[in-house]
Amino acid sequence: MQAANFFEALSNVLPPDCIKTAAEDMRPYECDGLSMYRALPKCVALPENEAQLAAVVKLCHAHRIPIVARGAGTGLSGGAMPDPNALLLSTAKMMRILDVDPLACTARVQPGVRNLAISEAVAVHGLYYAPDPSSQIACTIGGNVAENSGGVHCLKYGLTVHNVRKLRVVLMTGEIIEVGSDSLDSVAPGGYDVLALMIGSEGLLGIVTEVTVKLTPKPQLAQVAMASFASVEAAGAAVGAIIAAGIIPGGLEMMDRIATEAVEGFVHAGYDLTAEAILLCESDGTPEEVADEIARVSDVLRQAGATDIKVSQNEAERLRYWSGRKNAFPATGRISPDYYCMDGTIPRKELPRVLNEIARLSGKYGLRCANVFHAGDGNLHPLIMFDANVPGELERAEEFGAEVLELCVEVGGTITGEHGVGIEKINQMCVQFSPKELTRMHEIKHAFDEHTLLNPGKAVPTLHRCAEFGKMRVTRGKPMPFAELERF
Amino acid sequence: MTLTFERPDTSTVSATVDALCKTYGDRAVTSHAVREHHSHGEGMQDAGLPDVVVFPESNDEVASILRLCNQARIPVIAYGTGTSLEGHLKALYGGVCLDLSRMNRVLEVNAEDLDCRVQAGVTREQLNVDIRHTGLFFPIDPGANASIGGMSATRASGTNAVRYGTMRENILGLTVVTPEGRIIRTGTRAKKSSAGYDLTRLYIGSEGTLGIITEIQLRLFGVPERISAAVTQFEDVQSAVNAVITSMQLGIPMARIELLDEVQMDASIKYSKLEGFAIKPTLFMEFHGTEAYVSEQIELMKSITAENGGSDYRFADKPEERSKLWKARHDAYWAGMNYLPGKQAFSTDTCVPISRLADCVKAAKEEVAKSGLVCMIVGHVGDGNFHVLITFDPHSAEERERAEVAADRIAHIAIGMGGTCTGEHGIGIHKLDALKAEHGEAVDVMRTLKRALDPNNIMNPGKTIPMQ
Repeated sequence: MQAANFFEALSNVLPPDCIKTAAEDMRPYECDGLSMYRALPKCVALPENEAQLAAVVKLCHAHRIPIVARGAGTGLSGGAMPDPNALLLSTAKMMRILDVDPLACTARVQPGVRNLAISEAVAVHGLYYAPDPSSQIACTIGGNVAENSGGVHCLKYGLTVHNVRKLRVVLMTGEIIEVGSDSLDSVAPGGYDVLALMIGSEGLLGIVTEVTVKLTPKPQLAQVAMASFASVEAAGAAVGAIIAAGIIPGGLEMMDRIATEAVEGFVHAGYDLTAEAILLCESDGTPEEVADEIARVSDVLRQAGATDIKVSQNEAERLRYWSGRKNAFPATGRISPDYYCMDGTIPRKELPRVLNEIARLSGKYGLRCANVFHAGDGNLHPLIMFDANVPGELERAEEFGAEVLELCVEVGGTITGEHGVGIEKINQMCVQFSPKELTRMHEIKHAFDEHTLLNPGKAVPTLHRCAEFGKMRVTRGKPMPFAELERF
Repeated sequence: MTLTFERPDTSTVSATVDALCKTYGDRAVTSHAVREHHSHGEGMQDAGLPDVVVFPESNDEVASILRLCNQARIPVIAYGTGTSLEGHLKALYGGVCLDLSRMNRVLEVNAEDLDCRVQAGVTREQLNVDIRHTGLFFPIDPGANASIGGMSATRASGTNAVRYGTMRENILGLTVVTPEGRIIRTGTRAKKSSAGYDLTRLYIGSEGTLGIITEIQLRLFGVPERISAAVTQFEDVQSAVNAVITSMQLGIPMARIELLDEVQMDASIKYSKLEGFAIKPTLFMEFHGTEAYVSEQIELMKSITAENGGSDYRFADKPEERSKLWKARHDAYWAGMNYLPGKQAFSTDTCVPISRLADCVKAAKEEVAKSGLVCMIVGHVGDGNFHVLITFDPHSAEERERAEVAADRIAHIAIGMGGTCTGEHGIGIHKLDALKAEHGEAVDVMRTLKRALDPNNIMNPGKTIPMQ
């Protein structure tokens, strides 16, 4: 079918201001948060409602045009990276909160609604939406669903998959299905858990047009204990000790000195710069409960060798402690021209070993690495710093990152805890999963999208690609990953 | 799309049975008694016997049995402890029943990481005894001493799901044998993962229709410092339900909160010999936490129930008192079965948004009243899930029909309120129609998935997903 026909048909299903085809209009969509990789899409479509969105999908199906879906473009694994042959489908105009049921503690929203906007809208009822990725001010709920996003509080309150009750999804054929249920506990009631299958599928199985989220009663009080440690291993061991003591804190985060130094200069959070690592441990609930838990946490931290413990005394102070953690990525951006954020997740007890190994690799590759992470659930975010303008540094950073991820799999973990695979970690999928498991995934993909039109080339590698990657790993030859992609 | 299954001819079946008997010796049983025992759970009994029951002992044995059956197109049905309620075990087309009870080893316990790996045949009580010395426990408690494999396959929950979640929230990964005999591992030991599709949750709750779950990586929890159980009684069901709704909205982290209506209380007082209770709607509650925290939760809860006309609390702080109380709750089903002489009972499993709970309970009661049958209500009301036990005379087809119609109406009432026909028992063969009403087009997607992962439809055919 001719391209002209496709564009003509597209203009029949969307208003003119909802289609972008000029290069300068499409430039803002050329990358997501993984900005090393950029490309212009074939065109950008911004449907205003579900009917328009379904019509666009149907049209693409008929013309065999691939689709890349995009929320706010804050993803860190290149999941929303455009493809020159594909239509980029942005949900930015679908940003209405459709319904809030404060009794059932649910809200029904369109996919383009920002994560934080949900909490703001339901605050009057004393409720909030618990998953809080650091980008929550900008990222959309649709993107959160696609990536199964977490955040600093998911240790206690769960990931997106634990906080979404129901989805409306447009399948590649244009058919609309509803999965999940409004009822509280049985989000996946009868039949297969298609809801869980959709969540984290990175836009490869369908496009979400409506999300019913679970809301959580806001705790009366939250306090943060901040502990200093003389070594990264000691802080890592303290994390295990807290959990082993039966305490599940609201949040349990760790930063090493490279990270605290970077953020102190940026947001002045009041971190102890003499410490090699700090832990932030949040307790929330009623005042009695918080007082009790903070006391127990402080005991455990002291026994684990904390050199100093500070407890936030008011809300402003609590937010200041968190501001450092939440701004760790931009702060790192200030001290290094480029950085590469990893997302491996490991069983907690392996923390000291893996952190040591990362330090060794940092020396091996001659690249600094700041460690900021969701320690409570073992989710690492090493930030590898490099300068893309220095020949060879990008490649070294990528190799460093790949070694970290492989290490995570080796100790029984996963290559991605919350950022998704996208294009960034597609080779490491071959390390984590055997061809048997990948074959299952391909069978599922085929069941939903037999022509491979949804987000092609992302998230689940072909076996062919794995075979090539295998060769690449053995010879350590240097074919650059994604050589076909333009870089800056 | 439709799914089909045809029973292979007798000679193929007997050749397969012979081959299995030859390979597995006394671990492949064809006696009528054993086949009958493996043809049903604890729900309503309908005949449908497997041709042979095999007791595999390893992943490799499961894989080779599946390869054999896949080639011969013989159905395979997994069996844990036989406590399911929805006819999951009925051999609609005969075939091989895989009894996993010999795969009953706890493979590893990682106390520091609060996780463990078990074989499918390990029962939840066995696991809790096994890990007692670590100070950890596995909280999910569906009442019956079910196997972890069966609980995974049916996405079980139970009385303390309101605090600890269901199987869906507590499984980190699985080992699954596919119909082609491939042994795959889903998930990892990490607490979260966004790598690839969520195969783990796809197999959880698939009721043996996609593959055989042989190993499960489970989350464990620290045994709380203090556990306190309390009972309070109300004048009517609405008041009890309203108290539950308020407590959930305030976010009180109840470990369990169970409602028994006055008829169920009458039955349970008789069956479990409970003393000192009135025949009134009753809430059974349990609080977990530190000393101070539990006291605080109890004070808060007392003020809520008092506002709704609840009686003074009766506490059970000693383990043996608590066990007696919860044993009575778990035996509610058997109390219902024995309530009226000569009658049997079966249970609905609806779950609705908590804001609709009071309405749904009321509508369900009215529906049964219309049928002229006696019913009782027991439920995990904290998460909106309740069971209506409907009594009927098993010898009267007409009465059974009336009971089934009432149950079906109740399922549809719940679906109409944005709920589901099954909170925890699963679909099996009894709720196939309700699944269609609930999921519409999504059922077609489920069929596509079934066909993708089990092209010959040998895995527990005819269950969970309506064939047409």
